[in-house]
Amino acid sequence: MLLPARTAVLNYLYGVKNADVDQIMEALKPEYGNERQFTKDRYIDHVMSLEANGMVNLSSHDLDKNGVLRMFYEINDDGKTAVDKYVDKKYRHK
Amino acid sequence: MSNQGMTAASADKQMAAINKKFRVTGISTGAFSGLTYGIYTVLVLLAGRYAPLAGAAGLLAGPYVCSGLNDLFAGIWLTIYNAKSGRIREMGRSLNTFPGKMIVLGSILGGPIANGAYLVGLALAGAYAIPISALCALFGAIFARIFLKQKITKRVTAGMLVCVVGAIIINWAKPEGSPNFTLGIICAFIAAISWALEGVCSTYGGAMIDTDVAVNLRQLISGIVDLFIILPIVGGLGLLGGTLSAGVPVIWLAVAGLSAAVSFVCWYKSNSTVGCAVGMSLNVTYAFWGVFFCILFLGQAITPTIVIGSIVIVLGAILVTMNPLDLIKKGE
Repeated sequence: MLLPARTAVLNYLYGVKNADVDQIMEALKPEYGNERQFTKDRYIDHVMSLEANGMVNLSSHDLDKNGVLRMFYEINDDGKTAVDKYVDKKYRHK
Repeated sequence: MSNQGMTAASADKQMAAINKKFRVTGISTGAFSGLTYGIYTVLVLLAGRYAPLAGAAGLLAGPYVCSGLNDLFAGIWLTIYNAKSGRIREMGRSLNTFPGKMIVLGSILGGPIANGAYLVGLALAGAYAIPISALCALFGAIFARIFLKQKITKRVTAGMLVCVVGAIIINWAKPEGSPNFTLGIICAFIAAISWALEGVCSTYGGAMIDTDVAVNLRQLISGIVDLFIILPIVGGLGLLGGTLSAGVPVIWLAVAGLSAAVSFVCWYKSNSTVGCAVGMSLNVTYAFWGVFFCILFLGQAITPTIVIGSIVIVLGAILVTMNPLDLIKKGE
């Protein structure tokens, strides 16, 4: 069974230095891409809620070549502890 | 300014705008959760005035029929909402994780125990039970200290004392003709304590799960436990059958379930955007709305003790959960 989408976002960030919302969605697309909940608004909500709950930090932000805001998030120690505790190792991204 | 500098400034502006939108969403959903929980309260009381709920024998059967049907309806409304946005499979996935199981524990504390006690309290003590149940903010701070190792500051202590003063004011003069008034107030206290424990569980478990899905699970589980486990134990199945065939109270409970669903979605949403403290302090304004609507629509007598006591408790609860100065500063 797949992880809940928000947990999957945190689990993905565990394996990378940082990522913006588009990169997160690109990485999760093979598993979640065909679901109606797979929208940018919802994924922005996932990362910002994880940030509000103290599991990830906003590491930087800039504009892409189309002038659209990109927000890069990185997992912090509390987020890592949560993944270690609650996410089975078989789900880790390499 | 160089081109690069302008781009950075524009990125900052967009970032500030998105942060502001997130915060405004958190504050407004928190406030709206209070209003809709006040509406839910008055609708459940209204449903209880129809036969066979009115004058039903036994202390527990009536409140658990109301609570169970209400939560089941709320769960059904939320399932429709989540199905529409493509999140049905999220429910099974969430239950499969440890945080999801914490949500289940929270829903049993918050639904069958807290909501049941809240409705028994309302049945016995009327609108007086509402602000007492809002003491969940006080107990929430105490349990957060014990279980989540959060510190209790001087401001929180002051807010707790204000809450206790409010509770004393409300109970100063017993309304006439309620023989079980004190028992009703005790039930409202049980509700407050159990809701605070639910808050701890949902804070602990909810951070990694979509909040709309967490609320959906909470309401469905609570409704099912109420109707299929507790109701047979308290001998309320006959009353459930009678209520379902009576029609009118079921319609009121379906509408009440919708307000409760909206309220919980907004509350959990607010908690996960502006933090549990601010979310909870905005949510407990339901005590004010609940009393206000009871006076407006149900002919609840206005007494100085209920009006002053409700306002004092809401102010104390806000002081417990947040520094009122922060709301003014960051709300700009």
